[in-house]
Amino acid sequence: MSALSPTVRVQLAAVFRKEVRQTVRDRRMMFMLVVAPVLQTLVFGFAVDFTVDRVPTVVVDRDRTDVSRLHARRLLADGTLTRVEGALEPVGAEKDLDWGRAAAVVILPERFASDLAASRPAEVQVILDGTDPNRSTVAGWAAAQYFGGVAEELARGRILSAGLAPPAQLRLTPRIAYNPTLKSPPYMIPGIAAMLLLIVTTIVTAMGLTREREMGTLEQVMVTPIPKTVLLFGKIAPYVVVGFVDVMLLVAVGTWVFGVPIRGPIPVLVSGTLLYLLTTLGVGLLISTISTTQQQSFLAGFLFIMPAVLLSGVVSPIRAMPSWLAAITLLNPVRHYAEVMRSCLMRGAGFPDLAFPLAALSVIGLAVFLAAVVRFRTRLG
Amino acid sequence: MPRPRGGEEKAGGRVRRSLVRVGAMASKETLHILRDPRTLYLALVMPVLMLFLFGYGVSFDLDHVPVAVADLSRSEASRALVRTVTGSRELVSAGEAEPALADLLFRRGKATALFVVPRDYAEKVAKRERVPLQLLVDGSDVTVANQVLSKADALVRAETERLAGVALAGASPPLVAKIWTRYNPAGRSSLFMVPGLAAFILAITAVLLTALTVAGEWERGSMEQLFASPVGRLEIVLGKLAPYLVLGMLELLLVVAFGAAVFDVPVRGSLSLFLLVGFFFLVGMLGQGLLISVLTKNQLVATQAGALSSLLPSMLLSGMVFPIENMPWPLQLLSRVIPARYLVHALRGILLKGNGLRVLWPDLLAVGIFAVLIVAVATARFERRVA
Repeated sequence: MSALSPTVRVQLAAVFRKEVRQTVRDRRMMFMLVVAPVLQTLVFGFAVDFTVDRVPTVVVDRDRTDVSRLHARRLLADGTLTRVEGALEPVGAEKDLDWGRAAAVVILPERFASDLAASRPAEVQVILDGTDPNRSTVAGWAAAQYFGGVAEELARGRILSAGLAPPAQLRLTPRIAYNPTLKSPPYMIPGIAAMLLLIVTTIVTAMGLTREREMGTLEQVMVTPIPKTVLLFGKIAPYVVVGFVDVMLLVAVGTWVFGVPIRGPIPVLVSGTLLYLLTTLGVGLLISTISTTQQQSFLAGFLFIMPAVLLSGVVSPIRAMPSWLAAITLLNPVRHYAEVMRSCLMRGAGFPDLAFPLAALSVIGLAVFLAAVVRFRTRLG
Repeated sequence: MPRPRGGEEKAGGRVRRSLVRVGAMASKETLHILRDPRTLYLALVMPVLMLFLFGYGVSFDLDHVPVAVADLSRSEASRALVRTVTGSRELVSAGEAEPALADLLFRRGKATALFVVPRDYAEKVAKRERVPLQLLVDGSDVTVANQVLSKADALVRAETERLAGVALAGASPPLVAKIWTRYNPAGRSSLFMVPGLAAFILAITAVLLTALTVAGEWERGSMEQLFASPVGRLEIVLGKLAPYLVLGMLELLLVVAFGAAVFDVPVRGSLSLFLLVGFFFLVGMLGQGLLISVLTKNQLVATQAGALSSLLPSMLLSGMVFPIENMPWPLQLLSRVIPARYLVHALRGILLKGNGLRVLWPDLLAVGIFAVLIVAVATARFERRVA
């Protein structure tokens, strides 16, 4: 700032003051900029839970013995599957799936207990509603794990009774770092911050500037002696402040409400946010130079935001994408910012760990912002 | 007798004239849309683009997850175990690593888990004892961590079975669980996403486009000009909404046609029920957009209000991506007033399960009630605001 000439500084301050006043004066706008992101974070944090449990399950026990009842009870014991009242016969149970009353059907066959006792092979049928693949995978896994365990026990018993030595048993003992109970909010909230910041800054800048063009006020300011670049920076500065306030609010909500840790150094978060805002504001500026109406700039902003959010690893892991798409995501600023936020907050990563995403953010940010400034100047010139 | 007939004729004439005015408004609005093809283009390209993004981009099926290995045993047996665990399609080896380096690997994103084989692995296997194996998982990405856990567990189980196979000498397994997945046997995420996506796209386009167009008319002051014309308030509303209704129905068909062509999304149920549910949902969304524009009269605020009231709820609370059953009860309750929830449920039922009206009537009823209510409220507010 000290490198700037006094005139520029005064001009910058004047534009900044005017923009801040205009933004703050509009109560509804302030609500949208500050309160709405916090509300959204709260809703997101509570709504997004990938844990699958209490899958409604109909157990069709055709054996009706103590043994079959015992297995049915044990299968449901860990809470992944929850028993619901349903059909007593397999045909009716499939109807339950069709109607959505149940998402899984477990059929214990007739003579189940006597087959097990007589060492005859028994077959349990599990029918899953695959509409939600995540749920059916977990439900299927729970059933397979339970019956697999039972089968292993039975096999062991038979080997022992045949007088043979039983095989070794491998037991996996997982230890989960950073988020031991695998709660969703600590994982989602850093990503949500990236997403909300994008919505707030890009759309608001794009629409705000287009609106000024629509109303002709931008041209009015152009006749004043303020240079275009100063005008531009003065207009954008309040949104940088808003962006920072939003990030602080979101991290605070994350910490106090959802127990998101702050393990990494704060300067990493600050520099990541600054670089990210460079991009999001630059994109907003670019959009305002290509659209003539607010409707267009909104749609263009939306067209940028949707792919940027979906291909960022915030909603679904980047590793699950096809490799050509995963390569494209390297150009996505949201991906890098979400990585910086997540890694810094959760894993306590510092500058050396996050060198790549931070460098990527600076390259993307500078390129976008420069392009935007050049276009903005020529458009107004 | 002639009197009532005359009245009827007059009423008929009134309806006809009213329809003419609605038609005029609609064609004016259509001209607006056509004159600026960018809006139309965006409105029609967006669904296709989003379908691609969701279909390819939003997938939870992980393959080739990198797992670092710390094989402290370095024996024939431990190498066989490591081969089973990291030689699968699901998990791949990210190289050897010291257990102490796990933190660094996770921070740099080089591996998502560290698989530790204990020093005495070979001896314990030979002595046929219980062998604990450690898996250190990076829990910062919950979806990945969950999948790594379940896959590693299944792979270790497979290795146990392989070891047991030697002892059992080919005896048939005593108990088998046969798992059969209906509706989406391959468990593809796109089949789950496309019906949800249709609701999402409709909600956004309908609410935001109407909110913006109508708010734009207020901003420019052309709404007052319209009021000066003999066109009634309801006629303005209907005429303004009609072109967007057509656009929305086009989008709906586009999404399903594209989903069927590119992602093999089946259409197992009735197409007319599909269109009927879509129609009511769309009317409701258009009404919501109208209400927002009447209340805000400002495009910038209308956008934010539209995004807050349609975009986010229809993505978050509709069950489109995130299961409703897992939400805390206040949000579950809130999701009941989100029309997208019923549309997502109905579309999944129609497309994937082949459900008919007998199963889906509550959904149809819900979107219908929402449509009638919101259009009524919007029209009422519209009139009061002008008076």
